Amino acid sequence: MGVTVIRPAASAWMHVGEHLRRLREYADLLYTLSVHRIGVRYKQTTLGFAWALLQPVMMMVIFTAVFSVLAKMPSEGTPYALFAFTALLPWSFFNTAVSGGTNSLVSHTHLITKVYFPREILPITYVVAALFDFAIGSVVLLGLMSWYHVPVTLHALSLVPIVVLLAAWILAVSLGLAAVQVRFRDVGVALPVLLQILMFASPIIYPLSAVPAAWRDWYLLNPLAGIVSSFRDILLRQAAPDPYPLGIACLVTALTLPAAYLFFKHAEATMADLI
Amino acid sequence: MQAVRFDAVSKKYRLRQPSTRRHEDFWAVRDVSFDVGRGEMLGIVGHNGAGKSTILKLLSRITAPTRGTITLEGRVAALIEVGSGFHPELSGRENVFLSGSVLGMRRKEIAAKLDRIVEFAGVGPFIDMPVKWYSSGMYVRLGFAVAAHLEADILLVDEVLGVGDAAFQIRSFERIGELRREGATLIFISHDLSAIEKLCDRVVLMNRGRLIAAGSPRDMIAQYQTLVTDSFAAVTADAGSVSAGDARVENVFFRNPAGADVPGTRTGSPLVAAVDLDVSTEIDDAVVELFYYSRDGRTLHCQQSTAVSDGVVTLRPGRRRIEFFCESIGLQPGIYAVGASIRARHGSGVIDWWYGTRMLYVEPGKSMRGHFFAPHEWRWADAAAEAERHPADV
Repeated sequence: MGVTVIRPAASAWMHVGEHLRRLREYADLLYTLSVHRIGVRYKQTTLGFAWALLQPVMMMVIFTAVFSVLAKMPSEGTPYALFAFTALLPWSFFNTAVSGGTNSLVSHTHLITKVYFPREILPITYVVAALFDFAIGSVVLLGLMSWYHVPVTLHALSLVPIVVLLAAWILAVSLGLAAVQVRFRDVGVALPVLLQILMFASPIIYPLSAVPAAWRDWYLLNPLAGIVSSFRDILLRQAAPDPYPLGIACLVTALTLPAAYLFFKHAEATMADLI
Repeated sequence: MQAVRFDAVSKKYRLRQPSTRRHEDFWAVRDVSFDVGRGEMLGIVGHNGAGKSTILKLLSRITAPTRGTITLEGRVAALIEVGSGFHPELSGRENVFLSGSVLGMRRKEIAAKLDRIVEFAGVGPFIDMPVKWYSSGMYVRLGFAVAAHLEADILLVDEVLGVGDAAFQIRSFERIGELRREGATLIFISHDLSAIEKLCDRVVLMNRGRLIAAGSPRDMIAQYQTLVTDSFAAVTADAGSVSAGDARVENVFFRNPAGADVPGTRTGSPLVAAVDLDVSTEIDDAVVELFYYSRDGRTLHCQQSTAVSDGVVTLRPGRRRIEFFCESIGLQPGIYAVGASIRARHGSGVIDWWYGTRMLYVEPGKSMRGHFFAPHEWRWADAAAEAERHPADV
């Protein structure tokens, strides 16, 4: 029979191994809640899952109209629609998951004050649900690539570790913001604006090469920069990703995720009292 | 073998004063230690705010202690109503899986128990319907049924037996008995002293965050009653001629009009409630009161000797018995806690206050809807009825 030791809130962050073991015990809940999240999102909508397809496509159309046709944004020789969509795909993943994940705790107050389960499951389910949309969007991207006669090769599989990195970065941001939001609801209010700023601070509508060399190192501290440009390197140029931006993205994520998790577990201990 | 060990546990809450923006510390639980053996059933009693619910929250890991450690051996489950975690668009079946997983069940386990859960909740034909179409009763019952089928080594029960109708309450009681026979350790929190006495092996008494005593249910309930009486008397103390101890309520029991002892009655049927008193000093103009409480401690009904007649009730020394006769009990079917008090009509001092282990069982009788039954009649009142009643006038 398993023995559980409940320790004071102040030392909650010290027992990482225990936390991870418990998270594994709750794998079934993670699965059920994630499936629920995906299923419920498009319930009672007429178009259903088609929305997962339509959202990025509509963004692409608008971006192409505004930034390519009107603003004549450079796109490194790729058709702008494809250029934009390649970046919009990881960006939507980030945007959807972080928006949902940050609010995931305060939107489940009724559960948090009544039942125990590892709270990180809530933000994680939003990451999983957004990953599902990402998968659907990837199919659209493949279609778009063949439409523009960009070869689709096995080289695209080298994106898999990049997607894992992206998911890790998303998780780090979601865990951190969600934990802060329990105490300071300001986060939820400021989030839409922050996300908008972040989108312009990432190479979504313009290429990474357009960033002035003097700002470049600071710019790359945003892991999305390295991740999004790797998407373009791999898919549009069939090249290996530029190691420098990607390396910085890895480093920042590797430092942030453990810190965010520990911070989250520390906040978790008294979450039910504050929420 | 210990299933639960509380080791010098304290829990501090920070209360923020919105006006001064200052923090104030509040110790909901202070330096509490106790053990619960495997298979044991422990009751926790105390006033509102004594720290009972905080202990349950700490045990169920909803919140962490400020100091001290809690050791639990085995799987813990809280028998709570989590219907509020239901998603309205999903069917009953889907919600059973959802709330079952939230409570820590594995999908396989839920699938295996689904039929029993549905039967327990009594929502059979509606199980594949979105729960937004459910009545509030069905909703609550389904939520509770999921929790009741958790497989747990340690079960936490908090006043949930007030959920649902009388039949459902009885089923819930039976389910607790079943879990107990399977060897589960139970920790039970309730204002319902009769249930505590019936179910528990041992009781701990809490007061203002501290554990002040532990022992047999009978002793602890007696001590709790003294605590209640003392604090009640402290509030209502009056320097009059009567004082606590001049008379005591010994017992309350029920009879039918024929004079036989009964556990209760039916809605709309008569009931005799007898109050046994032990009077040591003569009390002029006394009032004897009988209270009926819901399981969550609300006073639903009160019978008073002074409301029945204007005559002065003088209590002479000796063993006395007062019977309250009610033609038609208005309470809904269910189980009620009972209390009784003696006080002087003039002056607010309570001479004795009894909150016993007696329960009143009310079974379904006169068909009723609404919160209570009141005796009533009906008649035709239209023109045709008038003509029938007074044929000579035509």
